[in-house]
Amino acid sequence: MTTLLDSFVRSHIPSSAEALRGEVKAFLRSWMADRPAHVRARSWSGFDAAFSRALGERGWIGLTLPRDHGGGGADAFTRFVLVEELLAAGAPVAAHWIADRQSAPLILHYGTEAQREHFLPRICKGEMYFCIGMSEPNAGSDLASVRTRAVRDGDDWLLSGQKIWTTYAHKSHYMIALVRTSGGPQDRQAGLSQFLVDLSLPGIDIRPIADLTGDAHFNEVFFDEVRLPADALVGTEGAGWAQVNAELAFERSGPERIYSSIVLLDAWVRHLANLPNAAEHEARLGLLLARMAVLRDMSIAVTARLAAGESPATEAALIKDLGTELEQDIPREIGEALAADPSAPPDEELLRTLAFVSQVNPAFSLRGGTREILRGMIARGLGLR
Amino acid sequence: MSNDLLEPFQRLLDDVSPPEAVRRTENEDGAPAIWAALRDSGFVDALVSEEHGGAGLSPAEMAPLLIAAGRHLLPLPFGETMAARAIAAGAGHRLEDAGPVLLWPLDREGRARSIVPPIRGGADLALVQQAGRATLRRVVAGGRDGFGFVTAALDTGSAPIASFELAEDSLLYWAAALTVAAMAGAMAGVLDMSIAYVNERQQFGRPLGKFQAIQQQISVMAERVAMASVAAQGVLARPLPGPAALDVAVAKPVIDAGASIVCAAGHAAFGAIGITAEHDLSLFTRRLKRGLLAFGGAQPWAKALGRARLAQAGGTSVDFIRALQHG
Ligand SMILES: Cc1cc2nc3c(=O)[nH]c(=O)nc-3n(C[C@H](O)[C@H](O)[C@H](O)COP(=O)(O)OP(=O)(O)OC[C@H]3O[C@@H](n4cnc5c(N)ncnc54)[C@H](O)[C@@H]3O)c2cc1C
Repeated sequence: MTTLLDSFVRSHIPSSAEALRGEVKAFLRSWMADRPAHVRARSWSGFDAAFSRALGERGWIGLTLPRDHGGGGADAFTRFVLVEELLAAGAPVAAHWIADRQSAPLILHYGTEAQREHFLPRICKGEMYFCIGMSEPNAGSDLASVRTRAVRDGDDWLLSGQKIWTTYAHKSHYMIALVRTSGGPQDRQAGLSQFLVDLSLPGIDIRPIADLTGDAHFNEVFFDEVRLPADALVGTEGAGWAQVNAELAFERSGPERIYSSIVLLDAWVRHLANLPNAAEHEARLGLLLARMAVLRDMSIAVTARLAAGESPATEAALIKDLGTELEQDIPREIGEALAADPSAPPDEELLRTLAFVSQVNPAFSLRGGTREILRGMIARGLGLR
Repeated sequence: MSNDLLEPFQRLLDDVSPPEAVRRTENEDGAPAIWAALRDSGFVDALVSEEHGGAGLSPAEMAPLLIAAGRHLLPLPFGETMAARAIAAGAGHRLEDAGPVLLWPLDREGRARSIVPPIRGGADLALVQQAGRATLRRVVAGGRDGFGFVTAALDTGSAPIASFELAEDSLLYWAAALTVAAMAGAMAGVLDMSIAYVNERQQFGRPLGKFQAIQQQISVMAERVAMASVAAQGVLARPLPGPAALDVAVAKPVIDAGASIVCAAGHAAFGAIGITAEHDLSLFTRRLKRGLLAFGGAQPWAKALGRARLAQAGGTSVDFIRALQHG
């Protein structure tokens, strides 16, 4: 059989990791008690520094980072349990989310000892937030065509150019930016580097962009000869492309990609539970849950590979594509079911939640690499092209 | 999927059940030579406990083998026989005759639980269940169905051979679970064939696999195949007495949705050659399309899962899914 598929061996979350679940649930009960579903449905984009600090106090940010850098020293399964419960509850994870998922692992792998000592403990406390400066107006899927440039000036670097779609740049302390340090766009993957950009430096202009619901989470970020110290470079000069791909692999490998619509799903379940004709909707609900259950098993199978020290990038891309498809189908299915039954209208909260999720769901298969790009990666993993 | 048993089993299948052999027996009733090889391998008693003279393996340990049997289009009721022998042994009945056995779940009124009858596969016996009672009965050839397979019919004239109590619907869950595993294997077969073909067949001066539209289709197939494989492992994860209703309720809808996609994409990749009688593709897709019709299809299972969720609407869907899963 195709080797890619041989790697999906059903596995179990060990009881050592499950042990955390009850504690997380208890913590979330007190924090989430009176937040309405349409607020909880914003989970990924819910920015709440107080919540992030409270998580940090419990040691729940940087859970898999080494203890001597302020992390929890736990395995990938423990993180799976934590993230699963956070997302199921619709917790506002945005403030620390990128630092926890992407920036901290990147700094751990590629940073200097001094950078690790400076950044990792602050990230783990839930006090320092990061954003990702990859996309530019003319560099979306084709990330290698970035034009933002850093040039040497003595020991320093001068950074000029523009990033876009930078989630929570306006509330973050740092950006990890992918920029060109040598050559031109024709050199493609060569000559790119990553920098830790302190967003309080002079010469940086951050302008929020409203999304189609009116929420403002992403931004345009302009750099005008921003002076960066030598130690702003993270990893190796010119190795930015390889580093960015490793970073995106960290991003794709969690349980995050199946639960973006779960708050809506569970709000609908509560609506159905009070409906005399709920039986008409059981099959529709069951189909969604069956997919979710199997995707969860697939995610656990990949987590087992991570816990064993492997980096199953193609498998993670495959789950992400299936997962975002489910996340996108949930609002469509629920919308269809509710619309067909005007005699039993949903309450205001459910309708608002549906309106929100059904408007933002196209983003699920854009952020972190589009569906088409992921499928190209899978095809390559299968030996095509 | 690595497993100490899998490799020798796959070698055996390569040896005794290559596509040519399957093709030769496609419209016949059974394949005695293939069965003899399987019987001699000892695998038919894999699930029978050691105290009853079997290997005492779990359904989870056999899952990769059952998927592999589907991948190899094994034209015999191998998993069904394994399950029947283990169920009978558990009730104190040792089946002396090591021939193939079918599973035949009925509803309380005695009607079949599937619109497609079992393919006979050379079997003379079936384990039949109605309400809380299982009976070992004789079967005969029933005729050729629209897929070209020789089906089985219960021999109503003959007396039951053995009879024992069995938790209601156990056979239905087993039969559906084995269908899921065989379908997951057949889906993997379609993917493997398709990848090989698109890398080789050239149009417009390059292999089909260089075209992005084809790459995307193959990726979608791979996703569904991976999902099917995990669903099949899941439906066989519970130790004996075996699968529960909601295990099937998760797996069958997922397999059915994926199988339809894989059949369509596989046939699209092969073009006209895949439509020919002499091409192997239809050996796989025919079984998948028949599997879609078996044991209620997807809808009633999905409905059962939805109903179970609504019965405990309090927690999150994560809580619900976790409680479903074994282990
Ligand atoms: C909510 C949200 C948050 C985001 N946050 C961030 C962030 O924090 N930091 C950041 O750097 N970026 C962020 N992004 C940007 C995201 O990474 C990009 O949207 C994504 O990489 C796609 O780029 P693009 O939008 O320019 O689309 P394009 O690349 O222009 O693509 C448009 C369409 O063409 C398709 N396409 C492109 N190239 C190909 C190809 N070779 N083959 C086939 N189809 C192709 C794409 O799949 C897509 O369907 C965010 C996006 C969203 C929606």
